[in-house]
Amino acid sequence: MKTFTVGGIHPPEYKLTASKAIETMPLPAEVAISMSQHLGKPAKPLVKVGDEVKKGQLIGQADGFISANVHASTSGKVKAVKNAPHPGGNYSMTVVITTDGRDEWIEGCNTPAEDWKALSKEEILRRIKEAGIVGMGGAGFPTSVKLSPPKDKTIDTIILNGAECEPFLTADHRLMLESAGGIVEGLAIIASLFEGKAKSYIGIESNKPDAVSALEAASKGRGIEIVTLETKYPQGAEKQLINAITGRTIEEGQLPFDKGCLVQNVGTALAVYEAVTMQKPLVDRIVTVSGMEVKTAKNIRAIIGTRFSDIALFAGSMTEKTNQVITGGPMMGRSQFTLEVPVTKTTSGILFINNTLLASSRERTCIRCGKCISGCPQGLEPWLLATEAEFRRLEDAETYGLANCTECGSCSYQCPSGRELVHWIKYAKALLNNRRQRKTA
Amino acid sequence: MLNESFIAAVTSLGTLALLLGVIIYFVSKKFYVAEDPMVSIINGILPGVNCGACAYPSCNQFAEELVRTKDTSMTCPVGGSELAAKLGDALGIEMAEPKPVVCAVLCQGTHDIARPSAEYVGIQDCWAATQAYAGPKQCRHSCIGLGSCIAWCDFNAMRIEDGLIVIDEELCTGCAACIPACPTGVLVMQEKKAERIFVACNSHDRGADTKRACDAGCIACQKCVKVCPENAIVIENFVAKIDQEKCTSCGKCIEVCPTKVNCIVRHNDTLKTKQAS
Repeated sequence: MKTFTVGGIHPPEYKLTASKAIETMPLPAEVAISMSQHLGKPAKPLVKVGDEVKKGQLIGQADGFISANVHASTSGKVKAVKNAPHPGGNYSMTVVITTDGRDEWIEGCNTPAEDWKALSKEEILRRIKEAGIVGMGGAGFPTSVKLSPPKDKTIDTIILNGAECEPFLTADHRLMLESAGGIVEGLAIIASLFEGKAKSYIGIESNKPDAVSALEAASKGRGIEIVTLETKYPQGAEKQLINAITGRTIEEGQLPFDKGCLVQNVGTALAVYEAVTMQKPLVDRIVTVSGMEVKTAKNIRAIIGTRFSDIALFAGSMTEKTNQVITGGPMMGRSQFTLEVPVTKTTSGILFINNTLLASSRERTCIRCGKCISGCPQGLEPWLLATEAEFRRLEDAETYGLANCTECGSCSYQCPSGRELVHWIKYAKALLNNRRQRKTA
Repeated sequence: MLNESFIAAVTSLGTLALLLGVIIYFVSKKFYVAEDPMVSIINGILPGVNCGACAYPSCNQFAEELVRTKDTSMTCPVGGSELAAKLGDALGIEMAEPKPVVCAVLCQGTHDIARPSAEYVGIQDCWAATQAYAGPKQCRHSCIGLGSCIAWCDFNAMRIEDGLIVIDEELCTGCAACIPACPTGVLVMQEKKAERIFVACNSHDRGADTKRACDAGCIACQKCVKVCPENAIVIENFVAKIDQEKCTSCGKCIEVCPTKVNCIVRHNDTLKTKQAS
């Protein structure tokens, strides 16, 4: 079985919802659609209070090259355009829509599927861009930008990421089981943009044998190789996935296309398929609602902008022992400060956790055991980076490869001294950013 | 045997010391750099904390520059007018009167005034907290209260009390080293006055949002703007701002301020006056 060469850890899997089919969540009374659901500049809101919107209507215009369109995820009336809590931990410009329950599509959207093979490359890219598709694995990089690499780079490998290495999350797993055909079509559309010169792979961790066979059946005779990967965290991280499948290593400062690779999440591939053939903008996504403290853990199809509080109710509410609500997986996800935050294009899961370590969490001194080094998939020395950060020797931290850290959390997970290694690294990055901004200002 | 090694050590080290001594002597004569004796005198007068408030990296560089240019407008904010007078005496020039400044906190969000957001567990540092979320108070413009700025203060003038940074105005020299250390920007420098009135709020949220999050938040109601006889108050980005040049400290704005805990505060500064030479 293939895997990446350096580091990696084996956290417990807790895939509680692996066997639960995707349920469509009923329309909430109100949706809060953030203008900042992607990497890059937030979209510019196009609607004002009192406007009637239809499902799929453009309400946020991409602002600049690295940005993405935002669409209304249901029909209704705009209640407010204001700064509201964002699952990223801060506030962002948000369009709040009171739903009318009719869930009416705007004209020209969600049309019957047409044959994408008749479309030109430019038209395909235009439809992907219009639909506001971003990487749905978590980072939210605008897909249309990723699909148009610089002219001097040749892409010879396209990888679909179905690893889903984070504990608890099963959204991609269920999607691969239930929409295997669409995913394969999406991959074919992406591959067609590179004139069929690139080899296509789908990487799936070995703990999802049913997904492997579903995709193998769907992709028969299409020249797609399904790669079963060892179950090891962070198998689904872009750099690690490329390393596992092709054996290539992305060096510091390089992007995947520097090594001829392109990685897309399986969810993104399906969204690409729907956007190109049905002109359907990205208005909903699959979210795993899980954790020990939620009554009925499930996989749901929620429209973008559904608030976490509504989802908690739909999943039979959380127990009183819940002391942490995390969006994303437990390794890289973010703790939330309010349940008012909405689902965004990158929300792969919502976890309700009783973190008993939280109350007693205390950093002790580093005992130089080296567990963080052995776990680091990027080959860094996290204890060193964290110590340099703690004493604000930021330049030193940079020379030890601060920028190369992907913040996967393997080191913090392994640390027997309970050191907040990733947090220290994030802290150092934040201080350096701030210093640079002040210098340029 | 013992004697022999003793003698060997003494003679070899002694010769080495003598040789190095001679080299040092010649080097010091040959490469002597004439330094204005005034620089060391000025250096003696300066506080010597190298805080950087004068825009020079160290007190020594400030002294060199001052002796070279005799620029009367150069000031040491830490020493104030007393020090300016001494510098002027030493150089035989009339130094400009420095405007003493003091650090002000644009937030009154103690635990009972600002409503809390989710509890923060982790690295006890404001910048680390901002990596997780907007801070342990609902108001995202407030003082986070973990004291990142304290480490930057060379004068021990800052402490955290009840989740809010407190400035000891006796000790604060106005060096402004703490300003960039604050992620939410609640620290500002203000000119010292016998009576100084300012709006102690940094919330750029709309009035309703501010009011929900804090009892002492400026809700941008315009009442103080209307009552001010000097037209010194403007609302900028949903928070009132008092022009310290125009303000006469009459206090009418404080009387009309409708917030539960008055967002406009009055401070009495202790002023050092220039000593007669």
